[in-house]
Amino acid sequence: MITATEATEDKTQPISPPRPDEASTARLTFAHVVRSEWIKLRTLRSTWISLASVLGVLIGFGLIAAAMAGGGETAGPGGPAPGSNDPVGTVLTGANLAVLVVGVVGAVIGAREFGSGQIRTTLAAIPSRLPVLWGKIIALCALLVPVTVCGVLVAFVAGMPILNAQGVTTVSWSDPGVARAVLGTAGYLVGIGLIGVALGVLIRGTAGAIGVLLGGVLILPGLATALLPDGWDVVLNLLPSNAAQAFTSRLPSPDLLGSGVGMTVFALWVAVALVAAAAALMVRDV
Amino acid sequence: MIEVNELTKKYGDVVAVDQVSFMVRPGIVTGFLGPNGAGKTTTMSAVLGLSRPTSGRVTVNGRRYVDSPAPIAEIGALLDAGAMDRGRTARDHLLAVGATVGVGPKRVDHLLELVGLAEVARRRAGSFSLGMGQRLGIATALLADPAVVMLDEPVNGLDPDGIVWMRTLLKDLAVEGRTVFLSSHLMSEVEHTADHLVVIGRGRILADASMADFIAQASGTKVRVVSPDATALRDVLTGPDVTIRATGPGRFEVEGVPSERIGELAAQGGLVLHQLVPVRVSLEQAFMELTRDAVQYGAMSDNETERAA
Repeated sequence: MITATEATEDKTQPISPPRPDEASTARLTFAHVVRSEWIKLRTLRSTWISLASVLGVLIGFGLIAAAMAGGGETAGPGGPAPGSNDPVGTVLTGANLAVLVVGVVGAVIGAREFGSGQIRTTLAAIPSRLPVLWGKIIALCALLVPVTVCGVLVAFVAGMPILNAQGVTTVSWSDPGVARAVLGTAGYLVGIGLIGVALGVLIRGTAGAIGVLLGGVLILPGLATALLPDGWDVVLNLLPSNAAQAFTSRLPSPDLLGSGVGMTVFALWVAVALVAAAAALMVRDV
Repeated sequence: MIEVNELTKKYGDVVAVDQVSFMVRPGIVTGFLGPNGAGKTTTMSAVLGLSRPTSGRVTVNGRRYVDSPAPIAEIGALLDAGAMDRGRTARDHLLAVGATVGVGPKRVDHLLELVGLAEVARRRAGSFSLGMGQRLGIATALLADPAVVMLDEPVNGLDPDGIVWMRTLLKDLAVEGRTVFLSSHLMSEVEHTADHLVVIGRGRILADASMADFIAQASGTKVRVVSPDATALRDVLTGPDVTIRATGPGRFEVEGVPSERIGELAAQGGLVLHQLVPVRVSLEQAFMELTRDAVQYGAMSDNETERAA
């Protein structure tokens, strides 16, 4: 191309100067790794598209659900849909879809470099390896935490007046369990994003990681609940999505874990996934 | 300086690299030659810690690469040109890699100029040709002004202009005192660029010599003679360890007598010489000679492998 011919002229330029001040003091630090991962994250268009859709889904679906709540309560022949009797659950309806998006975002962040071969360049630059995983997580959280918190708060703050206008009972932020459920939902979404990253690094393929995540988080609990006898509830409650329900609903079903225990169990799932990903990253050849 | 010591890498039962030891010195270009599958990329991956050796040790500038305080300032590596995300622009790719040791936009823009990608700096790498991808890989390698530059098949996909550019660049890097280590299966390219050779075949080092020695060794002592007094000269040269083969009227090839001796004998006998040329093989011929038995995917028995090693 154009550049090929120009390049031959450039060879007269020395390679070293202008030696930048920072190059002579070049140092691999954790802050530098985080910065590198942050640049990688923000320079991919897909990052912004998926985060915008998380925000859009949380707010958009929340408000639509709120606007339809009044009619549904009287007209629904089959009884109210799950959660629709709880105003917090109604305005957070979008979380059911947002969880898919954050899972995919995480899986892509974890697996993408393995697909493109970029991981070889990355690990050659950071041979200690582990900081790469933490850097990715910090960079992701820097975007995902504000986006999910903002999404659930806007859905709550804007959704309650809409519910009120429909004549549906509303709750206020200071009511018991409300703040926990709203912020817990944001925490759940961030946690699923992190599990996505971990699965991406473990499986090293975007499609596989998304499949395992969606299957494990969404399909498996429902399937298991339907197929297994009641005695299995103790075990099923420990699954990530069921543990999350214990702290993302304002009034969790008494069959579930307590909200504090649920939070701990879910956090453990995230931790286990990340530790497994860290171990795989350290051990495997790339 | 790269030191590889008894490096062995096995994938399951397959021994990719077997007890390999060599040293890559600063100030010269060292070529790493071998047929496809011989272990070049495996060895280079082990240098960078991308693959963990089964046994053995590799050091860069005297320490393990993983212990380097500023890895990309220690070794700038060009791995396969595809080792980058195609969704990112050239400039963003360099900024992200440079950030790991604090290299900033000024240096990144300088390198984009140096490799001739300044005008496409804000285009996504996915739209680049193979040659442009190689140039971006070179820019990545040189980001932190590294003391060692290691390149796996750097001329792959480059146009003739790009090949000349790469050759000059690598020589310049060596002249600046850097250690330059490049792998290739393209003999003619290495012949024009490298001062020293490490040859690998079926995971073992077959040769570790200067380019001149390597070619001289493979060339043997064959001398081409053209003389109007060919018949008389042949009689003078004939001896127990000497092979003479006529190649045409008044021309023959001698093996077993150095060219200096042939000249002296001709002078003593008053015989006219038109040409007296030590026959030198090309690097390609020398390489083929050496690796004939060591080509990974050739049909061969284990006995032959042993002999090659």
